[in-house]
Amino acid sequence: MGKNKDINELTNLMAKALRHKIGSIVNKDELYASKYAKDAESIMAEAEKVLLRQNWNSYDETRIKEQLRIKLQKELEQKDFLDNKKFEIMDSEIEKALKEFDLG
Amino acid sequence: MLVKFKKNVSKGSRFNQVYIPKDMESLIEVGDEVEVRLVKKSVMLHYSKNLKKLTNFKEGLIKDIFSFLNDIGGTNYIFIVGSFLTEKIGYNDIDIAIVADEKHKDFEESLYSKLIERFNLRFHLLLIEENEFNRLLKICPLTKSMLSRFICNKEIKIPEEKYVDNRHIKFLLMMPYDLLEVKLSSRSFFDSIRRLITIEKFLKNKILDIECINEELKKLLTERMYNKIKNNENIEDNSILTLRKIIKSKLSIIERLLKNG
Repeated sequence: MGKNKDINELTNLMAKALRHKIGSIVNKDELYASKYAKDAESIMAEAEKVLLRQNWNSYDETRIKEQLRIKLQKELEQKDFLDNKKFEIMDSEIEKALKEFDLG
Repeated sequence: MLVKFKKNVSKGSRFNQVYIPKDMESLIEVGDEVEVRLVKKSVMLHYSKNLKKLTNFKEGLIKDIFSFLNDIGGTNYIFIVGSFLTEKIGYNDIDIAIVADEKHKDFEESLYSKLIERFNLRFHLLLIEENEFNRLLKICPLTKSMLSRFICNKEIKIPEEKYVDNRHIKFLLMMPYDLLEVKLSSRSFFDSIRRLITIEKFLKNKILDIECINEELKKLLTERMYNKIKNNENIEDNSILTLRKIIKSKLSIIERLLKNG
């Protein structure tokens, strides 16, 4: 039960952090893009706190990846002010983030 | 025989001029041919209106920074902005905004490292391409408020015209929206609420003076909370609820203003 809740929280935070990170990449002409890259890092730091609550097995890792992909896709669809290149780099950014968290 | 002297160029009524020193009158005479060479470009400080004169120490430091960056080259306008200009001692770093013909990440990083190496001070550097700078001056509330008080290396007039770019404003609203759900550092709340006040003022065609914005923020939060979250101190859950209420209310005002054009 605790694990389900944590997966939900973890993927919510990771989806938001990745949306900020992707925003900073695709809207790189924005003056504040670098600030958004930092915002992504601070949300990812929160996600890391949730990550450390559990020992994750390979089944959990698959679930995290699936949930994260669905949530991030939704996040990016809602943000129509972010350049459409966002969908092109979505999967690679998910892979990178999971790898950093030792989940992939 | 090499005869030379150093003098500053002075302002003349018709032409700027360099006088030959009295004690060299016999060495350099009327009719002699001389050569004038620029040895060091003088550094001028151009204050924005509303900015009070800084102490000699701060002025001297800014002149050194301008002179150092001028020598490196590649910069068109150099602005000193932020709390270094307005706070006596309560500034964390020196904010420098540089406008250049082109923006290269390598150039930005190299300037930053050179500044640290030369001055051993904490800097926050923002490199902006000139075209982008001119666009942001019209559409970006944060850029406008950042440049409400500045010292520049050249004379410049910041245009007052504005244009509401919904995409840009929505980009700026991403973090405040996230803070309604995610609990981050208290400083994130400070930055977001200040950002919302700035955007609201921009949409309402009000003056974007950073001091007025900070005053409004202080009133909204109370002085105690203002200082706490400005310094990124830990805050209790009920304070976060209060801050979220403020964010929510500001977001709703801004969304309404955007909708009504």
